[in-house]
Amino acid sequence: MGNLEATRPFPDSEEMEISFGPQHPATHGVLRVMVRVDGEKIVDAKPIIGYLHRGTEKIFERETYNGTIPHTDRMDYTAAATNNQALVGAVERMMGVTVPPRAAYIRMILAELQRIASHTIWLGTHALDIGAQTPFFYTFQERETILDLYEEYCGARLTLNCMRVGGQPFDLPEGWTGRCGAFVDQLPARIAEWERLLTNNRIWKLRTIGVGVISAANAIEWGLTGPPLRGSGVKWDIRKVFPYDRYDEVDFEIPIGANGDTYDRYLVRMEEMRQSVRIIKQCLAKLPDGPVMAKVPKVIKPPKGEFYFSVEGPKGELGFYAVSDGTTNPYRLHVRPACFINLQALPELVRGHLIADMVAVIGTLDIVLGEIDR
Amino acid sequence: MGNPWIAFLVVPLVKIVVILLVVILMAAYLSYFERKILAYMQIRIGPNRVGPRGWLQPIADALKLFVKEDIIPSRAEKFVYIVAPALITAPALVVFSVIPFGADTTFFGLLKQPIPPYLTDINIGILFILGVSSVGVYGVILGGWASNNKFSLMGGLRSAAQLVSYEVPMGFSVIAVLLMAGSLSMVKFVEAQKQAGVWFIFPGIVAFFIYFVCGIAETNRNPFDLPEAESELVAGFHTEYSGMKWAFYFLAEYANMVVISSVATVLVLGGWLRPFPNVAALAFLDVIPPFIWFAAKVGFFLFCYIWFRGTFPRYRFDQLMALGWKVLLPVSLANLLVVALGVLLMGGAR
Amino acid sequence: MSLWGFLTSVFQIDLAQGLSVTGKFFFHRKATIQYPEVRPEPAGRFRGMFGFSEERCIVCHICAKACPIDIIHIADHFEEVEVDGKKKKKKILDRYDLDVKRCMFCGLCEEACPTEPVAIWLTTKSYETAAYERNEQLYFDKERLQNWEGVKPYPGVVPPNMGQMPNDPTGASSAGPEEQKR
Repeated sequence: MGNLEATRPFPDSEEMEISFGPQHPATHGVLRVMVRVDGEKIVDAKPIIGYLHRGTEKIFERETYNGTIPHTDRMDYTAAATNNQALVGAVERMMGVTVPPRAAYIRMILAELQRIASHTIWLGTHALDIGAQTPFFYTFQERETILDLYEEYCGARLTLNCMRVGGQPFDLPEGWTGRCGAFVDQLPARIAEWERLLTNNRIWKLRTIGVGVISAANAIEWGLTGPPLRGSGVKWDIRKVFPYDRYDEVDFEIPIGANGDTYDRYLVRMEEMRQSVRIIKQCLAKLPDGPVMAKVPKVIKPPKGEFYFSVEGPKGELGFYAVSDGTTNPYRLHVRPACFINLQALPELVRGHLIADMVAVIGTLDIVLGEIDR
Repeated sequence: MGNPWIAFLVVPLVKIVVILLVVILMAAYLSYFERKILAYMQIRIGPNRVGPRGWLQPIADALKLFVKEDIIPSRAEKFVYIVAPALITAPALVVFSVIPFGADTTFFGLLKQPIPPYLTDINIGILFILGVSSVGVYGVILGGWASNNKFSLMGGLRSAAQLVSYEVPMGFSVIAVLLMAGSLSMVKFVEAQKQAGVWFIFPGIVAFFIYFVCGIAETNRNPFDLPEAESELVAGFHTEYSGMKWAFYFLAEYANMVVISSVATVLVLGGWLRPFPNVAALAFLDVIPPFIWFAAKVGFFLFCYIWFRGTFPRYRFDQLMALGWKVLLPVSLANLLVVALGVLLMGGAR
Repeated sequence: MSLWGFLTSVFQIDLAQGLSVTGKFFFHRKATIQYPEVRPEPAGRFRGMFGFSEERCIVCHICAKACPIDIIHIADHFEEVEVDGKKKKKKILDRYDLDVKRCMFCGLCEEACPTEPVAIWLTTKSYETAAYERNEQLYFDKERLQNWEGVKPYPGVVPPNMGQMPNDPTGASSAGPEEQKR
């Protein structure tokens, strides 16, 4: 027995400390959470990040402006198009370049497709965390179609590198709009299928209703953005508040929740996918003709100054704060990552819940460690 | 059968060997079918590389597990760690001794006189099954504790609580069926259903439902697979196990699934009987031998197991307890009362 | 709880809904692609293995500058050549090395290339670039970039020195080496 006691770290303590991750199936990558538990109840949780740190912001400083775009692909690797959109948006506004309308519409289509793709990943992994394996495969099948569309457009499936300062590098290929339209036409039926699996399911409801509740005031104070904020009932969407590209020309709604729990965030994201379908349909109908690239110099040299520009990414507000010293390389490119700021609220959301709830909350925050650690 | 030794020793031994082999093979192939069925539900193909359509996959898996390095964590409690897989596997296999797979048969004329195709029929059959299969929880909780891993420990504790809670409604639901049959013997269950002319699932639908839910919980399967919830506890109680010890846990899990399905078949689905055993119009169904009927019913339950796993999310620990104590237990008690009244009004147990 | 909610709960309608979805997909056409036997064909713009043409390359270094991670190494020297009796200085390509193991296939080098058709391109449809050893097998000099020694091309794709062209990896529509513009 003496041997046994020696192996117990806290012989007298009833609390147990568990290192949840960085190699744990439910932490979406390499997040590590130090959890103090009393039985199964969480007393405190502390996220520890940095296992995927690659120094992206420092790398930005030695790149040309167009050279930074492939690096942004690797931040939130499930939503490369919106990352590109935020970066090129910031640089274009610094230079005072207006994107041709066709390029803006293409950007919107790409970004909304990306939102759907990101949300399908989220739904699959979130359901997997809560124990339902099968939605994962159904959602990935739809995502595969989106990736095929991307591959046709820009040649890559995941790390797209599909936008440039001043417009789009390519025009849409032959027949692309038709295939894209066919995809978005059949998507609502697929979403209804996923909802049939989960929305009314009593186990799903038990696991998500009342879990990870955050009030609207609290969510604003924590700086949450995206679905975690809208799930609490705050109508805040960068696409509506500070319209970029041509979002003011399309008609869509911002879905909001009421209780700020995991179930509401789930419903918000499901509705967002439908709204994205709506936006894409309008964009495809309105798609103007014309060039896709504005007149920009071959060497991009924004004037001295600084600019903050943000887009509504699938995870929340993704912003780039660019500082230019008038040379070809950015002096500083700071990222306002959505996942990093949403993750902050994790200890607040899980305190007093059970371990199983923490997995659900990590899933509902929809974090991507590539963006958190950069 | 002149020599008494043959009847006394050789025949049971042969039966034991055959049943053990069949059960182990069945567990192995159940893993294959689980992967295949899950894959088909998830619009995939599943294992199809080893042998034609992947038929040899379980054999390859077993071979791989035999030659795998067997790791014992340096801080594990060695003796318990090694014994635990045996503690769960042995009861799971022992239970098969009292499960009646079919009526007395000559095996298509191979034998001169019909013999029962099961090992034994003891007069406390169902009690024996409930008792022995409950021992299996020691394998889980001791394995989880001895691994000296926090995730394993939590898995073991969850499993202990879960098994204790779900034994109770399960027992009550079995008692309800038992009142209808008037015996504890597994063979008598089937015979009673033959006499009654109807499977007990019709009067005992509630009991059956509770039994099946508890059975899923007892075997730690989705949506009650909390002890090995991979997204929470990595792999639960068998996180640290590898090689053949790990295989034993899986063998036990699949064997237990077969046990629960077999018992459900015997209790409420008429065992080896064809549907409506006394309706003469359906006599052509007798062409199918009894143990095929049995296997088909067990197969149906096993398919449901896998179907549930493919569909449902997982309960949380406290919700699982609440379901067991606040829903299933009162319902099973009420059901018991109703069934007892019914049996009393119909003229008492046979 | 409403009556409907109660009935839903007792008859497990919510669970049956889910079971019906998985049951339906049980008979659905499977999405799996049996990879080594069936090779999915990439789209026309797919960014895969590099193709390079030394005769079209004008040694302008723009691709090397455009590369975000500096994996293109170019060395050159000037040579005096006589064209129409006049002495001219001409850049001669000594080395064109591409460290494919570090490449992230962003395609900026191809976009930057000023020649027509481009001298460095990724639209080769060939994606099977895995190797057992990365320092030797995934480091390409200008000869290997053209003859694709040790590269597994997508079925039907020919190496650049056998007529592969950008956007035409099989070399079907451009049989001979074209006249270089500019």
